Amino acid sequence: MSVIEVKNLSKTFKVKIKDKGLKGSLKAIFKPKYKLVKAVKSIDFSVEKGEMVAFIGPNGAGKSTTIKMLTSILYPDKGKIKVMGLDPAKDRKKLAYEIGTMFGQKEQLWTHLSPYDNFKFFGAIFDIPEPVVEKKIKELSMLFELDEFINTPVRNLSLGQRIRCEIVASLIHEPKILFLDEPTIGLDPVVKENIRTLIKRMNKEYKTTIFLTSHDVGDIEKLCKRVIIVNDGQIVLDDSMENLKYHYLNKKIVDAKMKEKINLDDEDGITILKDKGYNLKIEVDITKRSISDALKLLNPDNIIDINISNVPLEDIIANIYKSKK
Amino acid sequence: MLTEVKKQLKVSLLSVKYGFMREALNKASLFSSIFFMIINNSCMIVQWIVLFSLKDNFGGYSFKEVLLLWGLAASTYGVSRFFFRKSFNLSQTIVSGALDNYIVQPKSVLLSAIISECEPSALGDIIFGYIMYFMYGFKIHTFILFTLFTITGGLMIVAVAVILGSLSFWLTNSDQIADVGNSLVTNFATYPDGIFKGVARMMLYTIIPVGITNFIPARAIISFNPTLLLINIGATILFILTAFAIFYRGLRRYSSSNLMNARV
Amino acid sequence: MRKYLFIFKTQIISNLQYVGNVLIGFIGNFVMLFILFNLWKYLYSDPSELINGYNMFQMTWYVIITELLWMSLGGRKLVGKISEDVITGNVAYNINKPYSYVGYVLATHLGDIFIKSIVLSILFMITGLVFLGGFPSLTLVNVLVIILTMILATVISTLFASSIGLLAFFFENSRSFWWLYSKFILILGTIFPIEFFPGVLQKILSFSPVFVSSYGPAKLFVDFSWSTAWEILLAQLIYLAISYGICEFIYRKGVRKINVNGG
Repeated sequence: MSVIEVKNLSKTFKVKIKDKGLKGSLKAIFKPKYKLVKAVKSIDFSVEKGEMVAFIGPNGAGKSTTIKMLTSILYPDKGKIKVMGLDPAKDRKKLAYEIGTMFGQKEQLWTHLSPYDNFKFFGAIFDIPEPVVEKKIKELSMLFELDEFINTPVRNLSLGQRIRCEIVASLIHEPKILFLDEPTIGLDPVVKENIRTLIKRMNKEYKTTIFLTSHDVGDIEKLCKRVIIVNDGQIVLDDSMENLKYHYLNKKIVDAKMKEKINLDDEDGITILKDKGYNLKIEVDITKRSISDALKLLNPDNIIDINISNVPLEDIIANIYKSKK
Repeated sequence: MLTEVKKQLKVSLLSVKYGFMREALNKASLFSSIFFMIINNSCMIVQWIVLFSLKDNFGGYSFKEVLLLWGLAASTYGVSRFFFRKSFNLSQTIVSGALDNYIVQPKSVLLSAIISECEPSALGDIIFGYIMYFMYGFKIHTFILFTLFTITGGLMIVAVAVILGSLSFWLTNSDQIADVGNSLVTNFATYPDGIFKGVARMMLYTIIPVGITNFIPARAIISFNPTLLLINIGATILFILTAFAIFYRGLRRYSSSNLMNARV
Repeated sequence: MRKYLFIFKTQIISNLQYVGNVLIGFIGNFVMLFILFNLWKYLYSDPSELINGYNMFQMTWYVIITELLWMSLGGRKLVGKISEDVITGNVAYNINKPYSYVGYVLATHLGDIFIKSIVLSILFMITGLVFLGGFPSLTLVNVLVIILTMILATVISTLFASSIGLLAFFFENSRSFWWLYSKFILILGTIFPIEFFPGVLQKILSFSPVFVSSYGPAKLFVDFSWSTAWEILLAQLIYLAISYGICEFIYRKGVRKINVNGG
């Protein structure tokens, strides 16, 4: 069953442009100039119940705009959206009970109150009876390990603790879909890892569908089974993580330091990325040529140091952006 | 419908409570700001003492009646700032994209956006308003009227602020216009309408609704007339409905700004 | 002195872009003037009537000048900024800099309000002309003296506002003091000339900041005489020294408090 269905969705922003300086300001008051920015250009996709989908793309690709249209924040210009069978533009309140949202850049907690009081407030917003909220808070604070600071005012918490509380706040009403917009932005690697583990655990526990946007390749790689890549307002790839990896990860990067210079040319399955005499970097397509074959070409006796790695996901995505442009 | 209103009211009251709790964290600063506001308002009495030493009637108002006018101006201002402080920052809320969190909640976006913060010194305005009322003279029925007009007037000021703030959906930099508009409402409120003539006077009963929030209530308290009461209540409802309509119309154009920051 | 001039100049340039804001802000000022103009029209049954020595023409111009001085000052913003600096500890960054903090604040703020003051002056003069149909008769030299007193008045007010902002070193709510000060000036110094107050109060006021920061220049504008001019200039110089001294004193005291706290 699809919980999210998007068809032909478009959104254009009218952006005022202002020339620099006093003259520009005066001109902008009397004769404003506008520029149309097509943030989302006719996209289609659907998400099944229980999926964890990563919605990724560079800055300004239209991912936030899309997630905001899915959550009623923005009005679409064209196209159809159904989230849990509801139209976000028309059934805002009804939809709000069904979805949870967490925007990494927009905090929703009262900072002078404790997480506990905040959660109770969210309970009231979603009309949840008192005893039910209490139970839910207990359960979630266990899952997200909040016990230590659940009574400390939010402003005294670390960023990582705050983000955990933000996520819990958006789960109080047991949403069927959780939208996470840049959930790990600005966090250090250890905390990021911790948040990811918790999100994963939560998805397992409640079967919540998760729709996530992120810059962070780690978020996507570790969390999601499916990836939708957008660029310039269009979907450039919608595939399983496995497929993405299979297509692009069957290439290996061999980075070798040599005793003697060797002359090597591009041939079937081997691409020279960098050749600086003693330092050599080649890409091996293992569907065409095995690693051991490639090593033979280099002559193992001649190698001082070697490093064989996967192509980083960042590069893969960057390549897809480029090739689809 | 009725249960929905009840639930909305519960959340709104909780917001007011939490907003006030934030200000009440520091008791000393809370009380001093209330106290200073009372003193601050009292200063203006000096102006009227001087004016009444020159003439014993201003636009049909005696000294006591001017105090009543002042009381109404202060208490309506106080109600609007204490409960709905954020309606005066609505432009910023819209422009900075801070409505997102309210839109995803199953409650009124407008109410969530304008409650949630409280101006503690406004409590001083409300207290001052009542002190002025008592100086004018206490009577059960005028007390009830004064309280009623305090509420309707406060709501009317908020409605004007919401209308002005909502302009931000259409215009950039409209927060300045909103500031000026809001200060107009308070500036006119403390002078007897009788000193204005012609167009100015007409404006006070229409686009700058000071006439409806202050002059009509003052007249109704001085000598009761049910028509005045009805005009006041009717106009308040009209302004509130207009404010809601304009805000929700604008909300369709809302552009949740962190995207714009990334883009421009 | 050169570094202060430089700060002053930079501030002017960066404020050029806000002329639009000044124009919108003026609408509010205009309304205030409009209300007071109506009030005086109502009060004076006959424009030539004298109340406490002022006719309606003089009375209205008096208010226009005092309001102009007050609106140009931007005192609330200055107090807010300084107390914010004190509370957040930003003020500490200025301790080691090779300039006087008071001089720095003065140069920044005067640069800040320079453009606004000029624009407002023009607009207020036009407003007066529209309301009253003419200016008081003044010679060019008179006008220059009046401008000088207006500048001095602004400097003194800036110093007082800065002092109040610096009180944040000692009191949490230094803005409350600004309220009181602004009420004092507004009630006793802008709406009525000090001649409108009873004898004792009049005496006190003529020695208070009201005399130098608002009454003085406005009085000269509506009723110029050289003897008043000298009197006002002298009082302003004395007040300049006093306000500078107070500001410097509070700053020094306050900074010492930071050092103690910082251990």
